[in-house]
Amino acid sequence: MIVLLSMSLILLLTQQMCLYLVIVYLVSKTPLFKPFTEDSSRLPHKVFIYFFFSTFCIIASYFGEQTQDAIANTRALGAVLGGLLGGPVTGFFIGLTGGIHRYTLGGFTDIACTISTTLEGLSAGLISRYFQSINKRELIYHPIIVFIITLYAELMQMTIILMVATPFDEAWRLVQQIAPPMLLVNSIGAAMFMSMIRDQKTMQDKLSSNFTTQALRIAERSVGLLSTGFNPLTCTQVANIVREETKVGAVAITDREKILAFIGLGDDHHLPNTPISSQITLDAIEHNQVMFADGVHQSYACSISPQCKLGSSLVIPLTCGNQVIGTIKLYEPKNKFFLNINRTLGEGIAKLLSNQIQFGRIEQQQHLLVQSELKLLQAQINPHFLFNALNTISAIVKRDPEQSRALLLQLSQFLRINLKRSHSLVSLNDELEHIQAYLAIEKARFAEQLHIEIDIADELLTLYLPAFTLQPIIENAVKHGTSHLFEPGHILVTAESEGSHLILTVRDNAGLYQINTKSEGLGMNIVHKRIQNLFGNSYGVRVQVEPEQSTSVIITLPLKEQAQ
Amino acid sequence: MIRTIVVDDELYAREALIELLQPFSQIEIIAQCANAIEAMQKINQLKPDLVFLDIHMPKISGMELLAMQDPENMPYFVFVTAYDEFAINAFEHHAFDYLLKPVEPQRLHKTIDKLQLVNHKQTITAIAPEQLQHIPCFNGSRLKVVKTDEIEFVMSDVGGVHVYNQNGMSHTQLTLKVLEQKTPLIRCHRQYLITPAAIREIELLDTGAQITTTSGQHVPVSRRYLKELKSLFGF
Repeated sequence: MIVLLSMSLILLLTQQMCLYLVIVYLVSKTPLFKPFTEDSSRLPHKVFIYFFFSTFCIIASYFGEQTQDAIANTRALGAVLGGLLGGPVTGFFIGLTGGIHRYTLGGFTDIACTISTTLEGLSAGLISRYFQSINKRELIYHPIIVFIITLYAELMQMTIILMVATPFDEAWRLVQQIAPPMLLVNSIGAAMFMSMIRDQKTMQDKLSSNFTTQALRIAERSVGLLSTGFNPLTCTQVANIVREETKVGAVAITDREKILAFIGLGDDHHLPNTPISSQITLDAIEHNQVMFADGVHQSYACSISPQCKLGSSLVIPLTCGNQVIGTIKLYEPKNKFFLNINRTLGEGIAKLLSNQIQFGRIEQQQHLLVQSELKLLQAQINPHFLFNALNTISAIVKRDPEQSRALLLQLSQFLRINLKRSHSLVSLNDELEHIQAYLAIEKARFAEQLHIEIDIADELLTLYLPAFTLQPIIENAVKHGTSHLFEPGHILVTAESEGSHLILTVRDNAGLYQINTKSEGLGMNIVHKRIQNLFGNSYGVRVQVEPEQSTSVIITLPLKEQAQ
Repeated sequence: MIRTIVVDDELYAREALIELLQPFSQIEIIAQCANAIEAMQKINQLKPDLVFLDIHMPKISGMELLAMQDPENMPYFVFVTAYDEFAINAFEHHAFDYLLKPVEPQRLHKTIDKLQLVNHKQTITAIAPEQLQHIPCFNGSRLKVVKTDEIEFVMSDVGGVHVYNQNGMSHTQLTLKVLEQKTPLIRCHRQYLITPAAIREIELLDTGAQITTTSGQHVPVSRRYLKELKSLFGF
């Protein structure tokens, strides 16, 4: 008789449990479920868990099966899960709420049930806290562990009923009847519930990590591409990367007027270098707004070919500063749904690319600035230098026509190099040739007052450095250094390779360098800036001065075997 | 004969000018100098009538050299410059003779022709700096430049004018009079100038007073200048 009753109770409770699980399953598909999957100790989160599981306990008590003036139920499930997910305090209150509610329903086990439900919530919470303290919080999501915890919790409840409810005989009979179904159904139910939470959690983690990986891979692969220029070549590379990573039907990049790159389905009629024809793209550019035609609510149809397979399109403006300079477009074919994740990703990519374009522009402007400063420097120097050179030549032309002829040749050599020189890298040998032409003239001007020694090993002469690196520094050494001496000036130019660095030193015996003199700083600053611009902050120009003794200008460059 | 010195730090520039001056029979080149200190020495020693003076020279410019001259007793200066816009304006404005490098023979001719060595005072205050930042000095044959604000005191005797700073003594060609006018140094004795900032203490004596400088050197003060000195410090 008892056994039969148990069986029917098991079935009843299982039925109830199934209903709960279906509801939970449905909820798990909504954002409401998110708090369960997050490891968070924030208060709102705990409050949510409290309300959810307290409600659960109360419903469980209502739907419980009246048996011998008591209720067979699945209340324990709510208390235990609440405790595990919310911690001891939340668990305690869930148990208490469920327990007090149970008390109001009356029956001879009312007090016993109140106490036991509260204790169940609290102890589950304590176990959860314990797992956390040994850094094994993930154990609370493990179905078998949850099964065992619930089993123990229910055993505890039975014990409390036996101890508290009177008369004992009746309690003993009740326990015999309800223990097996409640133990079994609650434990299995809790385990299944938790397993659902776990699955949902894993899925979400995986999804977000996929998303992150995808975004990072696009960022990593495209880094620097657009900063070298926003043109068909770089755009094609970027579009390729975006398509490979997002696996959308097609990717296009446009500027304000025309398509720069189109990769994927429909590239037979969406041709690069043709004007933009779709209205949503033009709208996106005009209003600086993300446009989305999902193909369902807002129809998308290719404006070029009716046979086009593409059915939905996302258009995101690319900006530089506040100005729209083009768009990036993602397409999906008609038979494919445009994934939400790709929408988000698309906007992220557009932002990333916009940043790169902007960075590229800034860099280019900076480059231009240095270039123009360099030009200014050349233009500024030449008149004085030229003037002195001509004066010197005119002074000696009568006395020493041969030497003046040689000097004129040196001068024209110097000017020729100055004129034709690009701003790219030149070999140290070429740079020295330029300097030699310059020095020959200065040497004639200062005669015995200037001595120059260039001590550079032959094997270093084939190394590359930016043009006009040494010349302005040596010119400074003469102009602001040795020409102010009563005694003869000495300038020593040396080069050394140190590991991956090429170190050039220009040393004079004047020691007159002052950090604040602007005229001297200008040429040196430009050389310094340009080196840092080209090679980074670990390179550049620094100065060591021993007042009245010597000035050493030390130029640190990367060891470059080739012009590239 | 016009006794002439050419001052330019560039050898070939000097030689070229001297060569251009060759045809002028009235010009006699008595020296050429490569810097302002040498020039100062030669000017004091040889008392030339005419000096061709370059502006851009090491440490002490032609303008500073001009400022170091004793206005009562100085040669006639003709400046030679390549491109100092500022100086050229000043010359134009104050009717100074100047030549542009490279020197054109015709222009040189004109300059020599209109030379008015007699009865023509060049007012150097108009173009030369009022205060000297550097004092050209020499130790033996070594030339050096002493910063004005480093000088403690200056003393003159039969051997010349001696400049004292913390590191010792050197000689200068400048007169006490020029130094008194063109530097912050003040007269404390017929033979001495003192930098007020370098005075550590003044000890009153029967004959006047004795100054101890910051580096511990002693400088006499004659009664004649004591009052002025004391008033400087508010006594």
